[in-house]
Amino acid sequence: MDLNNSISQATQEIFQSMLMMEASPGQALTERANSFVNSVTAIVGIAGTNKGMLAIHIPEPTALVITSSFLMMEVTEVDDDVKDAIGELANMVAGSIKADLTEQGQDFKLSIPSVVCGAEYEIDCLTDSDGVSMPFSIEAGDFLVEFFCRNNSVGTDTLVSDCSGPGGFGRG
Amino acid sequence: MGKKVLIIDDSNTMRKIVTRSLRQAGFDFDAILEAGDGQAALDVLAGETVDIILSDINMPVMDGIEFLRQKQADAKIKDIPVVMITTEAGSDILDEAKSLGAAGSIKKPFTPDQIQETLGSLL
Repeated sequence: MDLNNSISQATQEIFQSMLMMEASPGQALTERANSFVNSVTAIVGIAGTNKGMLAIHIPEPTALVITSSFLMMEVTEVDDDVKDAIGELANMVAGSIKADLTEQGQDFKLSIPSVVCGAEYEIDCLTDSDGVSMPFSIEAGDFLVEFFCRNNSVGTDTLVSDCSGPGGFGRG
Repeated sequence: MGKKVLIIDDSNTMRKIVTRSLRQAGFDFDAILEAGDGQAALDVLAGETVDIILSDINMPVMDGIEFLRQKQADAKIKDIPVVMITTEAGSDILDEAKSLGAAGSIKKPFTPDQIQETLGSLL
């Protein structure tokens, strides 16, 4: 399974089973997005042999719909519930991808999610790593899932396509 | 007497989802208690008796593995079954949880049917 498929399957499964929503994957982006407006971003750090991060970037209106569905109550502003719900979403996606990578013999440890939100912000981390930025659409709007990592044990030039073992994780 | 469950997860969202899933799975607990980490759970268990515990693994303050370790060392609570609800499916961490007495595990994301299947044999 390649990284695109892993992200796609993990995200679709979580939206289907936990939110009863269909999340349709789009074409993976060729460039990383780092500027966001009126959005919520949840980041799960990756440590171990591999170092990296899983991030989910969601525009505020879409984040409100997702949180309302998680909690089964209407949420109308970005508050602690929204940050917690989007953080948990990122945690589940990261966990599913970790399971795929672990099957291929990779050593992964996940951090507790961190959440950023605001009218305008930039996310600038692991610029020397490689991975995938994949857009998704649900009825309430679009969002972006990113997974970037590099292998700590063999130097900074070794990117995700090399750190993922014989199963062929990498840009695809 | 009705049964009580303790849900341990640092995510308020996940605690609500687990509570809802328990009801959807047909479990009718007299009380559903919550804790945000392992230490908070031990504090709850110092004053409450519960029939089963559902616990996350990755949590701040005290994670699910250390909670299991502390629980095993306390004769008053060591026999309460604990089911891990976690994203850490298939990892060494779950093996460690099992060696520390975890009675089962449920992978996030989960369905009410999976909750029913795992808890059914423990209650």
